[in-house]
Amino acid sequence: MSTAPPSVPPRVPPASPTATDGGPGPIANESRPLLDVDAISISFGGLKAVQDFSLSIPRGALYGLLGLNGAGKTTVFNLLTGVYSCQSGAVTLDGRRIDTLRPHEIAAAGLCRTFQNIRLFPDLSVLDNVRLGCHLRGRHSLVRTLLRTPGFVRQEGAMTRKSLSLLEVFGLADRAQEPAKSLPYGDQRRLEIIRALATEPKLLLLDEPAAGMNPHEKIELARSIESIRERFKLTVLLIEHDMGLVMDICEQIAVLDYGRRIAFGPPTQIQRDPRVIEAYLGEPGAHDVGENGGAV
Amino acid sequence: MGAPSSPSPAPAATGPSSGGRPLLMTLPWALCVVAAILMHHVVGPVVGDYWVTVLQKIGVFIIAAVGLNIVNGFTGQFSMGHAGFMAVGGYIAGATTYYGSLLWIGTVEAQPGLFNAGIALMIAGVFLGALVAAGFGYLVGLPSLRLRGDYLAIVTLGFGEIIRVLLQQTGEQVAPTDAAKFAAAPLKILSQFPLNGALGFTRVPQYASVFWVYLFTAVTLLVAYRVKYSSSGRAFLSIREDEIAARAMGIHLTKYKVRAFVLAAFFGGVAGGLWAHAGQNFSPTEAGFQRSFEVIILVVLGGLGSISGAAMAAIALTALTEVLRGPGDVLAQWWQLLALAGAVGVVAIVLRALRNTGWRVIAIGAAIPAGLVAFAKLSDLTRNHLGISLGDYRMVLYALALILVMLLRPNGLLGVRELWDLFSRDSKRSARTNGGAA
Repeated sequence: MSTAPPSVPPRVPPASPTATDGGPGPIANESRPLLDVDAISISFGGLKAVQDFSLSIPRGALYGLLGLNGAGKTTVFNLLTGVYSCQSGAVTLDGRRIDTLRPHEIAAAGLCRTFQNIRLFPDLSVLDNVRLGCHLRGRHSLVRTLLRTPGFVRQEGAMTRKSLSLLEVFGLADRAQEPAKSLPYGDQRRLEIIRALATEPKLLLLDEPAAGMNPHEKIELARSIESIRERFKLTVLLIEHDMGLVMDICEQIAVLDYGRRIAFGPPTQIQRDPRVIEAYLGEPGAHDVGENGGAV
Repeated sequence: MGAPSSPSPAPAATGPSSGGRPLLMTLPWALCVVAAILMHHVVGPVVGDYWVTVLQKIGVFIIAAVGLNIVNGFTGQFSMGHAGFMAVGGYIAGATTYYGSLLWIGTVEAQPGLFNAGIALMIAGVFLGALVAAGFGYLVGLPSLRLRGDYLAIVTLGFGEIIRVLLQQTGEQVAPTDAAKFAAAPLKILSQFPLNGALGFTRVPQYASVFWVYLFTAVTLLVAYRVKYSSSGRAFLSIREDEIAARAMGIHLTKYKVRAFVLAAFFGGVAGGLWAHAGQNFSPTEAGFQRSFEVIILVVLGGLGSISGAAMAAIALTALTEVLRGPGDVLAQWWQLLALAGAVGVVAIVLRALRNTGWRVIAIGAAIPAGLVAFAKLSDLTRNHLGISLGDYRMVLYALALILVMLLRPNGLLGVRELWDLFSRDSKRSARTNGGAA
């Protein structure tokens, strides 16, 4: 086989490709949490999708957000990334209020995400998907673009090099020229993470990164999440509805149920938490039949 | 994973234009001038007077289609008001040259010479018209932030219709014989918008020679190419591919959508301005949706997002309507046939040598001129022996050609790809990467 199979775990070369590009930068103000979510809420009509959700993530941590389908996990992500605006509460990233910003400004502030149902740019090449992530950190005036000034040419070259080295880390470099839609499923998920990394985020939000993966792929994914976190000095918040991955790698877990945070703590504590067990398994006999049983 | 695919990991970097050093930076622009001179002095005389007007029309439609492609193709916003922008550009450019000539030259007859005051007026007028059109593009682009698909299409359609109706309400054009009266109170007369209402603005001096049309065409192509293969171009494309993901990656949707509209409107204005100076008049009906659709057809047929596709469609469809009109006149001489065959052969050899193009692509390329010749000869036969002129059925044939292309290639002739991607053997396997340091 001339090419590396897609399932090779990421190799970790000694030098980080983004370390020189400003990236997460030197760690400032160690004591302050990187992300501070303070009692955010949103309701759609009568449905209170997220209620008074609070979470504080220290720099460099790997947190999980757990909950059943429809518990409001993705809505929390949409609130954090500005897809929806919070009806109350505040979100602070690295000391800066971001809940009033628009999505592209939030990305620029250093918060980037992946999507539950993969959202790549299917007809663009793998490389272009990643280079689009680099767009955010560049300067793009029309004059520079049309005249192809030396600065423009340098910037394009730097973007290409950076993208290729990111792809290299994940073993996707030799597929750089293929359209993104032609990648196998697991690689598409990986590419989404690479694209997000190219925006040089401080905080990476992963929305069900293991969805649709088999156990073997999940283990690999867990390994690569841990390695990129170390390598890029990232803080990660990941969503899962499936216990396995979250329990394995997350340091702290917040559990959502019906839009409320019902538990928070390290995995071992979450596993024993009666409210979590109730939410996941239901409390025998205690369930109000009239509430759900009546619905058709 | 059984496929032993191993495309080269290096980005396909080199394109027709490179940048970086000051001398190299001016080279592509100089090449535009060279191309325009070649079109004027070599291609023009070869094809003859009648086809020179077709050539001008082709150039104008290339500019219009490549411009519209920035909105409809790159950014995926559906604009149906392109004729409105063309009309804005056409009227402003035409009026600038006409009234400027009345005021400063004293006559609206086209002045002789390679460059003169009249041509300077035309260039100023074309840029002025394009800038005003771009301003309108900004206004039309703003609602695109809230509107999607069909709704945006209706808004842009409405824009074109507003322009058309406004133009119908304009005042009477000052006749060249009234030059003295105009010179006495130019501003007062201009404030009446003397654009000749529904009759259409006429007698624009014919300054848009093949040279000027193709200079603008070449520059338009260069600009579109550079926009597409740049980080900004990827931002446009990403909006078409997935708006939500683009926004999450930090793309400022407002900025890029409006920017696409402004660029497209600018080139629409340029096309209109040149059109006024080539055909000498511009009427309000040309701002209507029929003209917009003509341009949309070019863009869709060429492949949404493909610059060379839009240009090829503009060439093919404009030429097709003419060829169908009187096919017997085209390529009637044996030496013209020989020259055509020779040109096809040379192109095939060069492509084979430089890009390693497959024989299939070359065969398809050669089949197009061969088909035209066959059609011309067939038309001759039917006219001489059956008394049927195929030219009378040209609009039917034109429509059939459109249907056929859409059935066979639903993504347009080229899809998102470009002509040069096609001529490379591994075009099937790899999507050409957008940009590099080209």
